[in-house]
Amino acid sequence: MLSKEVNDLLTRTDPGTPMGDMFRQYWIPALLAKELPEDDCAPVRVKLLGERLIAFRDSKGRYGLIDEFCAHRGASLWFGRNEEGGLRCPYHGWKFDYTGQCIEVPSEPEESGFCESIKLRGYPLVKIGDILWTHMGDKEQRPEMPVWEFATVPAEQTFTSKRWQECNWLQAMEGGIDSSHVSFLHSGNLQTDPLFRGAGGNKYNLADKKPVFEVVESDGGLYIGARRMAEEDQYYWRITPWVMPSFTMVPPRGDHPVHGHFWIPIDDENCWAWSFDYHPTRALTKEEREALEAGYGVHCKYVPGTFRPLQNKDNDYMMDREAQKRGETYSGIWGIAVQDSSLQESMGPIADRTKENLVSTDNGIIMARHRLRKAAVALRDKGVQPPGRVKEHQLVRSVAKVLPQDQPFKEACKEDLTVRPGVKQTSV
Amino acid sequence: MADQYRPTMLSSCALAATAAEARFRVQYPNSKARVSRVFALDQHAAEAMYAITEAPWNGAHFLTVTTRGDVVPDETGIDDLPLSTPDGSPALLSEELQGANVVILLSSQHSNAGAAEVIAREAYHRNIMTVGLTLGQGASDERVNAVVNTLRPFTSVLVVASDNDYVPAMLSALRA
Repeated sequence: MLSKEVNDLLTRTDPGTPMGDMFRQYWIPALLAKELPEDDCAPVRVKLLGERLIAFRDSKGRYGLIDEFCAHRGASLWFGRNEEGGLRCPYHGWKFDYTGQCIEVPSEPEESGFCESIKLRGYPLVKIGDILWTHMGDKEQRPEMPVWEFATVPAEQTFTSKRWQECNWLQAMEGGIDSSHVSFLHSGNLQTDPLFRGAGGNKYNLADKKPVFEVVESDGGLYIGARRMAEEDQYYWRITPWVMPSFTMVPPRGDHPVHGHFWIPIDDENCWAWSFDYHPTRALTKEEREALEAGYGVHCKYVPGTFRPLQNKDNDYMMDREAQKRGETYSGIWGIAVQDSSLQESMGPIADRTKENLVSTDNGIIMARHRLRKAAVALRDKGVQPPGRVKEHQLVRSVAKVLPQDQPFKEACKEDLTVRPGVKQTSV
Repeated sequence: MADQYRPTMLSSCALAATAAEARFRVQYPNSKARVSRVFALDQHAAEAMYAITEAPWNGAHFLTVTTRGDVVPDETGIDDLPLSTPDGSPALLSEELQGANVVILLSSQHSNAGAAEVIAREAYHRNIMTVGLTLGQGASDERVNAVVNTLRPFTSVLVVASDNDYVPAMLSALRA
């Protein structure tokens, strides 16, 4: 349970809000790089943290993310002409460069210097991996570039997708650290999904349906360990790292690619669910890539030409009660991603946490909220930079491992939980 | 997958999940008061606990294990464990666990394994969920690990928190 005040503090991310200010301390995913495939390509409307922006790639390959609306009369620059080093408003010809600086006002004498006094808000847009990242906070406080392993391995080893989720970012993100739902909601997928099936550890999941949870703080966020009985005197551990504010990784299965998420607010009632799969030491196979593109694993199928899931609230997520009865899916919804989003969206645009009844197995969620709240308040009141901005916090991995019962996972898996270039993930 | 083309009806997700519809959610208390019992197993844990006992809790009881020596579980009956309330009154474990929904074992730098086992054993017999919360503030990793290892066999959920603020945060979240 959260009070309305705390719920508002954690869920609102518009400019000037405590959590909005906190998100603005990080490099966050803004677009897939393929959305701006070539120089002078079509600009793309982007809304992030409640700000309407336009992304474009100029004639020299420079990426820009600037205020969507022309400084002259407020027309949308989505209609702009992307040409000769800038984005030109077709209404009266005002032109802006990739930083948002106005570089041409045709109606004014060039020598007047008028255009130099006009500047749209602009944010950096930098390609790392398959993603264009932005930092929407103060330039003086800009952190080092992100070093998440999924985004820095060679292109043939990684795959990233994004989908529009029609609810607040926090209830979506909380699904990523809520390990206890997996035994129910996703139970139908463990033996059928091509990106899960066949792993040695699956037998422990299926044999022990009541995992025991341990929640341990890390410098950047949390480790949530779920342990199940394994062979005599041993536990099978699945360890989920959460890095502030909204990065999670799913513990691996066998040699399958490792997957995880970022949840990034679009506005208070919508977010982007970024999903990735990568393998630290080998290229994804043709079969794996086909499965990822077909929406298996943590990805989804789309309404053609969009980032909206094919199964969405307008078609009741294509609920299939017969598949539910046959045991093919637990909830009647196909696919892990939409199994999650269907329920998270059903909570309402912003979940009312004053009415919830959390139980002790929800401690991962409780701790994450606690850390987010503390960090947001410390930033607001004392200017303290939040965790998760530095590379030491970002170089994390999820882990699946069998350990003797008397070993604390954080110590026993210290190396496994850290990115080690050239070393594959620790998995069962 | 089922057909992707469905008519939108009044009960469809497209309407039901909107902010406008949220105001029609039935307003009523959907849970009874939870019966929570918090046991501080050592002095540091007791200090963290006493800092919050005056808050308006939802019926939670706060108890301290007052023994100074090691508790031998096999030789300690349910009501042989010395417990005290925040005002210093003695308490009986059997009475405190009567009707409880959740037991929280609060520990800090000293594991007090015997006491943890006595409480957790009784909670287990009564089908009461047992949570271990270890406060790591000011303690070495080795010390925290030792405490965690001690609590692990007796708890269904185990949390290691770096600051004492997590105690009220968790109890509030659980409506304790």
